[in-house]
Amino acid sequence: METTFTEQESLRVITEMIENSKAKIRDNGFFYLLWGWLVLIASLSNFILLNMDYDKAWLPWPFLMTGGGIVSGIAGYRLGKRIKVRTFFDTAMIYLWYGFLATLFIILFTAAKGNVSWVVTNALIIALYGLGTFVSGGILNFKPLIYGGVFSWLLAIVTLFIPDLYSLLAVALSIVVAYLIPGYMLKSRYNKSSYV
Amino acid sequence: MFKELDPLLHSQLRLQVMSLLVGVESAEFTYLLEETGATRGNLSVQITKLKDAGYINVNKSFRNNYPLTTCKITPKGVEVFEKYVEALQDYLNMDKKSSTQ
Repeated sequence: METTFTEQESLRVITEMIENSKAKIRDNGFFYLLWGWLVLIASLSNFILLNMDYDKAWLPWPFLMTGGGIVSGIAGYRLGKRIKVRTFFDTAMIYLWYGFLATLFIILFTAAKGNVSWVVTNALIIALYGLGTFVSGGILNFKPLIYGGVFSWLLAIVTLFIPDLYSLLAVALSIVVAYLIPGYMLKSRYNKSSYV
Repeated sequence: MFKELDPLLHSQLRLQVMSLLVGVESAEFTYLLEETGATRGNLSVQITKLKDAGYINVNKSFRNNYPLTTCKITPKGVEVFEKYVEALQDYLNMDKKSSTQ
């Protein structure tokens, strides 16, 4: 059944519907916290193992990163099933993080080939962490992520001037400032907001 | 002279659907159902009308063995929606002028 309605009513319908569908921040910080903690544990345990002169000090990385990949894959699949509407913000985020992953693999591959030192690799990875949070902060309009991104870029430059071993601590610091702190802030904002 | 309002858009439910789709990339049928508060049958009929006019694309697939319908606005749909809003503004401005005279 169709009913005719007035121009004023039609304006109200448009405003109301656009209000309903406009991008709501649905990010509860889960992925920032997951990767934040995993990278923090991996970098600190790598640092400790190196100090203990253990010859396979890098071992925490493949285990924790593979675990994180599996958990992220499952969480992403579940999230995709729950979301009934896809905004342009969602698409931008997906492309950003796939691009991030591709670049990360290239940096790690270059390092594994022995083309660049680990201190340069860590500086590049910190800069890449910064890019990820800077852009996603811009998309979500969430300042702590943007500031975390800028902090990581500055830290990446500083990292180039510190001894090899301590570059791992720079990675840990970058992840705390750019991922864990904004992640907990996103989580608390998500819990407080009435949006679901 | 004020422009005529597109009769296909000048209906509550169809306008609701178009307004929801104009701001997002794509939306599932169930999302449109929740936001508009319409009945399944009525929404389905109006979506077909919008699809036949080329205003939206409707994609039918499956997810976990359940049918999944996703709607997306087309460039033509965006164009007619913008024209509709323009015409509406003209109409409301005219209304204001005539009431102040």
